[in-house]
This record gives sequence, structure tokens and C-alpha cells, in this order.
Amino acid sequence: MTIEPSYFDYPHRGPGMDHSRYPFRRLAKQAPVAWPGGAKLLLWVTLHLEHFPMNMGSKPFTPPGGMSRPGVSVWDYTQRDYGNRVGFYRLMKLFDKHGIKPTIAMNSEVAVRYPYLLDRILERGWEIAASGTDMGHLHHGGLVEEAEREQVQKSFGDLRRLSGQAVTGWHSPAHSQSPNTPDLVAEAGGLYLADWINDDMPYAFATRAGELTQMPLSYDLSDRKILYQQSLPAAVYAHQIDMACKCLRAEAETRGGRILSLSLSPWVAGLPAQIRTLDGVLGRIIATGETVSVCGEDIRSFWTAAKSS
Amino acid sequence: MLPEPLNYDYAPYLNRPKIVWPEGKRLAFWVAPNIEFYEYAPPKSAARGVWYRPEPDILNYSMRDYGNRVGFDRMADVMANYGVRGSVSLNVSICDHMPEIIERCCELDWELFSHGVYNTRYLYGMTEDQQREIIRDSRDTIKRASGQSLDGWLSPAISNEETTQDILAEEGLLYTLDLFHDDQPMPVKTRSGKKFASLPYMMDVNDVPVLNFRNISPQDYLQLIKDHFDQLYEEGAESGTVMCLPLHPYLIGQPHRLWLLDEALKYVTSHSGVWCATGREIAKCYLDNNYDDAQAFIAGVKGNAA
Repeated sequence: MTIEPSYFDYPHRGPGMDHSRYPFRRLAKQAPVAWPGGAKLLLWVTLHLEHFPMNMGSKPFTPPGGMSRPGVSVWDYTQRDYGNRVGFYRLMKLFDKHGIKPTIAMNSEVAVRYPYLLDRILERGWEIAASGTDMGHLHHGGLVEEAEREQVQKSFGDLRRLSGQAVTGWHSPAHSQSPNTPDLVAEAGGLYLADWINDDMPYAFATRAGELTQMPLSYDLSDRKILYQQSLPAAVYAHQIDMACKCLRAEAETRGGRILSLSLSPWVAGLPAQIRTLDGVLGRIIATGETVSVCGEDIRSFWTAAKSS
Repeated sequence: MLPEPLNYDYAPYLNRPKIVWPEGKRLAFWVAPNIEFYEYAPPKSAARGVWYRPEPDILNYSMRDYGNRVGFDRMADVMANYGVRGSVSLNVSICDHMPEIIERCCELDWELFSHGVYNTRYLYGMTEDQQREIIRDSRDTIKRASGQSLDGWLSPAISNEETTQDILAEEGLLYTLDLFHDDQPMPVKTRSGKKFASLPYMMDVNDVPVLNFRNISPQDYLQLIKDHFDQLYEEGAESGTVMCLPLHPYLIGQPHRLWLLDEALKYVTSHSGVWCATGREIAKCYLDNNYDDAQAFIAGVKGNAA
């Protein structure tokens, strides 16, 4: 093995980031943001509705929850599909109980396949964000731009047509992007992204089709990460959310409004053994003073207004 | 490849010469925040994959970027609250990319030592001159950004060559963190015979293996830190021990984990026999007061070449 002299070239070694999507900033140095109504903490619940085709394969990688059996993966398929049949309705009732106003980040295929489910979302006025077409169509660096543009357009197009909503948000399936995804989302009329996990507050994200707002969708605190990937007990999941709530709420006293993001999947949080834990967690968060549940587009517009005021 | 690193002889953890830290303290406690820059589009490495997913791996890139944008300040606030200074395991390009982070480290009187240039550039396969170039770049960059001397080293992603420790000693560094063989500082054997020590870095309480690889809960991580400390504190009465808490702002600075850093520092600093120090302070103290005794002890261990 020989290391070429070019290994010592550092083309981006200078002030700021090594790409041009956003400048470096420290959250601690940001001007405090005041949320409408004097809220200190915004609770942003994002529910991921996904369709995992049984023949999705493992290229370029298997997303969490993807098919992992050697042959016909009925096991994985049906456990994921459970979320859209059963888990969703458990969560729906829980959101109704606690007055949660979630963002439904959905593969467009779920809206196509399950109009009954879509109606339950629409009758509640819940926000729909586009999250690709299905989990077998990841966005990644190996995609030809034109093929990816079709995926992005189809996702936004189907969801807008079926829901009648503006659909301004985007979450890439499994937080996976190509180098072009943000540009294609902006081209398709998206206003916010929720893929990068580098901040606790929104920030401006440059694309060749204008600026998007990158929103702080949690990943490390998601049910999928803690309960599914890390196999930690429900009590540990609840404790981490309680601690995050406490930390952010305390920070909001001196540093300006904060956001607590809960990223939920009906095939994880909607399981019988988990739902009561989530019930308790949501109850405690809502009981925290000056905390209000809002959707992604609310946060984007609050933040945009606060930034320009 | 050598069958073993040639940097130390056998030294049983029994009847060693007694170490007493300054003011009679029995445990030297230091915190090593890893302030890192992982490149968005790093050069390929023949030795290992760089990112976990096909590039751009924005999930893992942005997870680490969180440390610099958010986690660092949170973590620094908690440490300052307990009067605990950091000894920064620094990808030195941070001095160029994010000089304001270095400014705050200096304001807090933290030590900077090198963790390579980027965390996505490895020493694997480098010639001696190439390794020397990285070390000299680190020394110059840290000097320029902070006025500090480069005294300590942790190889980026713990990538080593067989000659790495020899070159570090020749370049005048005081300590290395690449060897995980002991709970006390130890002399490091190098070809120049220069005084050069290893300090315990303690992967078992490092937040990356604990939280990322072993999936230990924050509550259990806190207990692990306390248990680890209790044992070393007790043993430190016999001969001074070192406890290092290696951390990453992108993990410990998350709102759901910050509390455990607070609890851990509260616990450790409540013990009167603890010397809160930096890596450089521990290394200097050891080199000045204990290194020669340790050399003599090791030379007398049955089976070691005279």
C-alpha cells in the first residue's frame, strides 16, 4: 500500500464547511428565537409511514426495517406492514388524546395503496410531508439525476394530488440523500428538508433552485434507533426523551425557543408493548409548561418569520 | 507485519513503584473531548472504508457535524461548571475550518493535542516521512492557532504504522494515547530512547464504543463511569491511577445525554483525592517523577531482557 502525495491535498481546508450547502454556525451563538404565543418548547412529532416492498433488495444498502431474510422475506414485510394496519391507529388515538399535531412523513406509495388511512389523516388536518415513493427507492449517490428527479416528482405529485395539500416538507427515506436530492426537492416546490441531523434548530440550506429550511428531525432519539436498532428497553427510550425535554426546556429559558423532535414509526412505537410508554412520555411533555405541539410547516414558517423580524 | 507492537515490555500490575500525584492525590482525572472533522468527500483509503453508507453519507456526516455546531458548547458549559478542563483530541484542520471553537477552548484553558488532520485521513500505509509531515502539520497548526506546544497524540481513527510511536518520540512529543495496555502511565520504548510516555485513554468508557457500538443506555453508561472510577480511586491509594473520560461532543452533547456528563463530573469531582488535570500535566508529572522508577522496575521483571 502506497500513499500518494495527493493524500496530503486538502482542497477545502479553510474557514467554514467542506461543501457549500450551509455556513458553519454554533447554536450557542445564535440570536434567541421567540416562538408565537410565548411558547418555549415546540413539540414536533413526525410519524413515518412507509411501504417496504418484499422484493426491494439490498442495494445500495438495506435501510433500517428493510428485508433481511435470505429468501422470501414475509417476516420483515408483514412486520412493517403491521405499522400501517395496526400501529398507525393506536398512534392516531394517542395523538387525538394528547392533542398532538403531527407531521406525517409518508412514502407516496402508502397514500396510493391505503386511501382509507389517508382519509383518517386528512380528516384530522394533519400535515403530510413527502418521503420518497417507497423504501425500495432510496435516494443515493449512485442514482442518475433524471431517475432521481422522477422519484422526487412522483412522491410530491402523488401526495399533492391525493391529499389536496401543498406538501412543503421532505424527508428522504432512511435519511439517505444523493448529492442532488436537496436541489430536486427545491425544484419540486419543497420548502423544508428533514434529513441532516446536525442541529437542534432549523437553518438555511442552499440549493441550486433556491433556499430550503433544514429542520431538526431527531434520529438518535427516534423509536427506530433506540427500540429497534439498539434493542434498548422502553424505559430507556422514555428516560432519554424525558431528559431531552428537560435539557431543551431549560436551555429555552436563556437561549430562546427550542424544538423537541420525536421521530416515530408505527411498526415500532405502535407495538402493544411500547404504546403505553409513549402515552406517558407525551403526557409528560405536554404537561411541561409553555410547550405546544406543532407540525413541520408551522415550525418552518415560525422560524422564517423569527429570522426576518 | 510485526507480531506485536515493540513499544513496551511486560509490567505486572503488582508491586509497582508507588505513584503519588501532586498534593498527595491518588487519581488523576482528565477529560478528552474529541473535536473532529470528517470530510464530506474524503479521498479513498486502501486500508478501510471511510463512510458507512454510499457517499455522500449525509446521515453520518451530519451526525458528527452536530458536535461542532451544538454539542461542543453544551459540553464545555457543563465542564466549566465543575472546573474541569478538557484536553482536546483535535483534528487540527478544525483550527482552519472553525477557529471560533479553538478560541473558546483557549479561553477555557484547555489543552490541544493532535488527532491527525481530518478524522477521514489515516496513517495506514504512510512512510515515515509522510507520518512526520502529519505530525509537523499538527504542531505548526496548533502553535499558530493557540500558541500551545504539541505534546500529545492520538492517531486519527487510531490508525497506526509500526513506526508511529518512534516518530512521535523523535518529534519531541511527550505522550501517546494509542496504547490501551494499562491503567497507569507507562514508559514507551522507541528506537531513539527518548523519554516518551503512554497515558491511559480508556476505550471502555469512551462514548463511541459504549453508545455507538455496544448500545449501552445512558443510565448504564453513567453507572459504568462510576464503577470504573470507584475501582481506580480505591487502587489509587496504593499507587496513583489515571482515569480518562474520552468523549465526543456529537454524542455526549445531545440533549438526551448531557445530563449524564453532569452527573459523572459531579460524582468524580466530589472526591477529595482526585487531581483534575490535563493530559500534558499528567504526562509531565509522570515523566519528571515516576518514569525512571518505572523503567527500573520493568527492567527487573523476570523475563524482560536486561
